Amino acid sequence: MTEKPKAKGGRQVLAAGRRELKEVIETCDAIERRKFNPFFLDVKLGVETLRQYFPHWEGFEDHCLDAHALNRLSEVVRLQNTQLKFQSSALYAEPEFVAKKFQRMSEKRLAEVFLQSWHPITELEQLTNETISAGLDYWNLLLPIQERWKRRAYQRGKNPETADSGTLTGLGIRDEEFGKQLTGLWNELRQIHSTDQKAVDYWRFVKGPNHQETVQRAYFVSFLVTYGYATLQLEGDQITLIPTEKPSEKPLEGGTSFPIPIPKEA
Amino acid sequence: MEQTETKSFYSDKLKRAIHLLVFRRGKMPGAREWELKEKVGKNYEQVLEQLNQMLSELDLEVKKVTEPSTAQTTEEGTPVSMDEARYYVALKGSLGLKEAKMIGWRIDNLAALSGVISYLVAKQGKAPRDDVEKVIALKYGRWKAATLVDVFLRTGYLDEDDAGVMALGWRTKSEVNLPALMTKMTEGKV
Repeated sequence: MTEKPKAKGGRQVLAAGRRELKEVIETCDAIERRKFNPFFLDVKLGVETLRQYFPHWEGFEDHCLDAHALNRLSEVVRLQNTQLKFQSSALYAEPEFVAKKFQRMSEKRLAEVFLQSWHPITELEQLTNETISAGLDYWNLLLPIQERWKRRAYQRGKNPETADSGTLTGLGIRDEEFGKQLTGLWNELRQIHSTDQKAVDYWRFVKGPNHQETVQRAYFVSFLVTYGYATLQLEGDQITLIPTEKPSEKPLEGGTSFPIPIPKEA
Repeated sequence: MEQTETKSFYSDKLKRAIHLLVFRRGKMPGAREWELKEKVGKNYEQVLEQLNQMLSELDLEVKKVTEPSTAQTTEEGTPVSMDEARYYVALKGSLGLKEAKMIGWRIDNLAALSGVISYLVAKQGKAPRDDVEKVIALKYGRWKAATLVDVFLRTGYLDEDDAGVMALGWRTKSEVNLPALMTKMTEGKV
């Protein structure tokens, strides 16, 4: 009969015992999850550990831990037994050897090996209760055809429409209004240029209070450049504008197209 | 006269048996033992034997696979032993590479399946998913390995539990001759 440990020393022994038993349980669980070979654990040593700490257990939880550890050890013994039986069977091969073989064999050869031992099941698929139920669910969730067509029409956007002269004048892209806007912008450009005495930065000039205004100014500037009211210059990444004193008022010959994307944040 | 009666009796039962075995009604193909008993009769084994003889001429055979039994109890709580055997019609011989391609299998998928099954068998039928993927990744890379494992799980050739441990699926147990595969795998030329 082993004497029960006293106060401080006893607590230390209990703590050490619990820790060791938890380690044994964790190792056994890992073996059961096939992380390790069952013979990785020395079952005899595990049982001796249980025996060593058994007299020190006082509470119900400690006894439960002890029983659990014993149960896990017995599972490892069962796995060791299974492995021994398996090793004596025709199916036995070292996993590492199989992995190496798989790596080195050609795909064709591996497929042939499989096909020689494969006897696929013959079956005919047909409607089952499950497939009918899945079909019904799909049907019930499906919108009527008119609804689906409406959605498609909405996604495609509005069809092109005709605009009258009033609308175009209001938008500033027709007749005198258009000319006025161009002249105004050209004067503005000239004024900035005369003040700064240098080429005007394109983005600084085009930038409006909002995106719509920016796009509109960029649109008019493209006309200023095309009709010779201003010249567009490229210096690396920088785009600059220089107003011309005597515009030709005709599209320039031999000009090249230069698209400038306008980002949303511009 | 008596002979004719016996023949027609069997012909009717044969039809019922082959319908049960070949036409898929649920998630799994084939028929359970109790279904055959109920629909074909107590002498269903004799019927299947005769059916087997007829099918062998077509390079097909009736196969019996025992599934793990589920605990069933009566209303009084008495445990009842349930027949958990399932019968299938399977190919008796084997397929060639061209035939396998024709039924929708890719050669690389078959090769990977061959490797995974033999690796799992070598690990006594179970291995962590990470280990299985590592083996496939040796040949196909990490991303394809994960995809292939999912394909094999979906088709029933592999099984996975909540802890991420992979095992041989019902389809492997029913369709693959494991001793033959392991012998060919270990003897196979590189």
